[in-house]
Amino acid sequence: MRLRANHSIPEVRARMRNRLLTRTARRKATAVHYKAIAARLGPSVIGFALLLFPVLALAQDTVAPTTGESTLPPRGENAGNYNVVQSWEFGYRFATVGGDDGKYRSDVNYGNGVRLLSSYLTVNSRNGQGRYFDDLSLTTQGLGNDPYQAVTFRIGKNRLYRYEALWRSNAYFNPGLTVAEGEHLENTTYQWQDHDLTLFPQDWFRLRAGYSRTVQNGPALTTEQEFDPLGGVFPLFRDTREEFNEYRVGADIVLKSFHLSVLHRWEYFKDDTTDNLNETEQEAGASGMTVLNGFTRAQPYRGNTPGWLVNLGANYKWIAVNGRFTWAGGRGDFVQNQTAFGVNAVGSAQNVQTIVTGNGDRPVISGDFNFTLFPSSRLSLTNNTSVSNTRMIGNNFYEQFDTATSAVQTLNFQFLGVLLITNSTDLRYRFSPKLDAFVGFRYSDRQIRSTENAAVPGGPFEGISAEQSNQVKAGVAGVSWTPIGNLRVHLETEIGRNSNPFTPISLRNYNVIRSRVEYRKRNYSLGGGYQESYNNNSILITAYSSHSRTYTANGSWTAKPWLSIDGSYSKLHLDTVGGITYFAGSATPTNGESIYISNIHAANLGLRFPLTSRADLYVGYNITKDTGDGRASSVLPTATPAGQLLYSVQTFPLTYQTPLVRFSVKLTSKIRYNIGYQYYGYHEEFGLLSVDQSYRAHTGYTSLLWSF
Amino acid sequence: MKWIFVLFLPLLLQAQTAPPAQNRFVGNQPCRTCHPDVLLNFYKNPHAQQQCEGCHGPAGEHVDAHGGKATIKAFSVLSPAPILEACLSCHSKDVPRANIRRSPHTEADVVCTNCHSIHKAATPRSLLAKPQTELCYSCHPAQRAQFEMPSKHRVNEGVVQCSDCHNPHGSSPSTSRMGSSSAALRPAFDNEEPCLKCHSDKRGPFVFEHPSVRVEGCEACHVPHGSTNAKLLTRPVVFTLCLECHNGAGTFGRQNTGVFQTPATHNLLDPKYQHCTLCHVRIHGSNADPNFLR
Repeated sequence: MRLRANHSIPEVRARMRNRLLTRTARRKATAVHYKAIAARLGPSVIGFALLLFPVLALAQDTVAPTTGESTLPPRGENAGNYNVVQSWEFGYRFATVGGDDGKYRSDVNYGNGVRLLSSYLTVNSRNGQGRYFDDLSLTTQGLGNDPYQAVTFRIGKNRLYRYEALWRSNAYFNPGLTVAEGEHLENTTYQWQDHDLTLFPQDWFRLRAGYSRTVQNGPALTTEQEFDPLGGVFPLFRDTREEFNEYRVGADIVLKSFHLSVLHRWEYFKDDTTDNLNETEQEAGASGMTVLNGFTRAQPYRGNTPGWLVNLGANYKWIAVNGRFTWAGGRGDFVQNQTAFGVNAVGSAQNVQTIVTGNGDRPVISGDFNFTLFPSSRLSLTNNTSVSNTRMIGNNFYEQFDTATSAVQTLNFQFLGVLLITNSTDLRYRFSPKLDAFVGFRYSDRQIRSTENAAVPGGPFEGISAEQSNQVKAGVAGVSWTPIGNLRVHLETEIGRNSNPFTPISLRNYNVIRSRVEYRKRNYSLGGGYQESYNNNSILITAYSSHSRTYTANGSWTAKPWLSIDGSYSKLHLDTVGGITYFAGSATPTNGESIYISNIHAANLGLRFPLTSRADLYVGYNITKDTGDGRASSVLPTATPAGQLLYSVQTFPLTYQTPLVRFSVKLTSKIRYNIGYQYYGYHEEFGLLSVDQSYRAHTGYTSLLWSF
Repeated sequence: MKWIFVLFLPLLLQAQTAPPAQNRFVGNQPCRTCHPDVLLNFYKNPHAQQQCEGCHGPAGEHVDAHGGKATIKAFSVLSPAPILEACLSCHSKDVPRANIRRSPHTEADVVCTNCHSIHKAATPRSLLAKPQTELCYSCHPAQRAQFEMPSKHRVNEGVVQCSDCHNPHGSSPSTSRMGSSSAALRPAFDNEEPCLKCHSDKRGPFVFEHPSVRVEGCEACHVPHGSTNAKLLTRPVVFTLCLECHNGAGTFGRQNTGVFQTPATHNLLDPKYQHCTLCHVRIHGSNADPNFLR
């Protein structure tokens, strides 16, 4: 019996005619069509329609580089046996900032200057038989001193090799005002690079080699308290120099349904950061007596972590199995040499030199085994067991020379071991193609052992040893339902109990509910979700509890290739209360409550539409607004000073909004001119601990995008 | 004897029924006739080495019927399970996909073609249907909201990607915290939290580890995606964050005696003591000082 088509299709020639319309003709046709629709609807209807879409936001969050508007030809240009597609966007970015410049640089950090905002290059062999490579791609973003830069490169030849590289740079400024009253003015650059080479990427036997490097460097500030626990705190210049290098070699073998992977890795970390103070500093505050006349600290650290990974898996029609074993032996050796001199808190001259030497080890072994059984097409059973053993062992020799106390020598030893065993089982049954449900059980057993020793050389070396264990038992259940064609409903819940949590804020008696509804059609989708997470952890002072609830709505609509809307609205609620103990001007501790309430509304709106057949306009608006607990003032007049302090940090209402607009016009078939503006407005309602970090920034760019 | 005949009657009847017509392979050329838009740039696709029928099955009947999704393996109408099986027939050997059958996406019926577009990929790498952030945001709007907050990882700025920390194909079970972290988290090689892949200076090993960092993980103090609070902290100020654990109560901590509280010298009304990390600068771990002072 021959199967028949469900629907008839037009004759081939007609379909081809439709598809082979020139790009320009299609563009004109769609633009004319759009204008006709606009004329028929009238401005009021369109305006109303736009009002309906504040919750349907558009994707772009930064004004540049230009995305969405392109003259990129779909086929590129042929050169010999290769096809080449490329685009380059050169431009100038500008920014002017008012208010707290440090906070702007922490959050946004775009500056002024000429940039290669983005580039894109692909070279593909036309017959899959290039001499040296079959595909090559190169993309860049932000080169030329943007704070966020990235380069990706990929080259490969079918069945022979594939090489991928990724380089990224993130230059950010970290004022840390809420942490250190503006004294941690870090200005750090992170740079990552990853290189991966695979030989015989499509064969049953593959060889892999890779290299990764992370570098963090740049000027920064840190703080140091001298000369005793009551002394002053001073900002110090820091020259950050950290490097992480990783080398890896591995192989994959596929034999029938089995696949075996082996990977060996070597990691090296070194830190040559130094802290210095070359001028006299007086302790802040009217009563400050401490003076620091000079400070130097060198703290070289060398770490290495060799490791192995072995993974063995198999897939059959009725069972899928996977087992994994990893071992990593971390070790670090260090020296710290620190010298400080000045005047201490009681007005006496003091010199202190501290030398610390030692090492730390952290071997980690873990293994897991999981299998999924498929007894029938409707039923699946998944079980997973994992074991992990982490042991941290460290010791140091601490030696301090002090003009006041002569010399202090201490030996320290620390051990912390964490053994974790987990098991989970999930049973899933598909009642029908439209309805399936699952139930599961999770069990975790964790044992924590520790030993702490501190002694003077030659003295008794007796430490404190302790051990604790805790178990978590949790049940999960969920259902997925497709009541009508493209509508899907997913609901799941988890409830768990922890017998002996490690900290007061850990999960103890908790439950989680997640739900999502989604409706998808070919050119639009709508979705909504709700998630709540409750946790109660009783302690002696009071009961710690946290409640978080998240509501989301999102949608996307691609009316035409040049007219699309998509985005989301979210409300994130969090309230927590925990017991705290503190000293406030007396030797008697006070018990109190730490309350934190956050109500964040986040929404965005964006619209891209053609002004003419050659020009596109994009407008967007993003807002994050934390309404806090709704209070009108952060001051509670009747409270004690400590009560007032706690009240003022219970909530942190603020508004952060980033509207943007971009205009792009096609000058020639290969060149577009783009200009864009984005405003960053950050406003704290009350400030925090007498510090207000509000700022506003006008940023923008202008560029030429050349595609051919 | 006749009873034996009756027993085998169904088999005999089946043998007399004409066998179904065998579908046949026709190669790529007929496909070009009706699907030129798909094949226009398909030679750039890694799957080009695979003939159309390598994924879609024999197309003889499809050609004979002048098209139709019922006559060929059309992924747009397949249910999630066969789509997954079809792709895994070639793509199951990679370690990152070793746990795909138990991944949260698979369990939610989100399979390969929900994120990857084989014919019209938006990205040359991984053949994603949309740029990665846009793709993830389409189902995870709450995460998008977090990445638009003032303090965040630079995902929207293009320097960090969701897949740096997450494995959408499912990970090996987590061994951080109580094994309760997301199964879509991409742990570091030795099963540490993914944060330490970039923040290697926080990794150690240290002589004095901050136990909560090792036992409860980075999320004890930080919100990984984004926060309205500086440094992705869970609280706007540091002292409430620290004091909520360091209250001396209960049987918490490594010695079961509660997490020790601050000494009496720490007058909370003194601004210096409202910023704990002003002095405890090595709060993630120290080699020199048990109180993380240097």
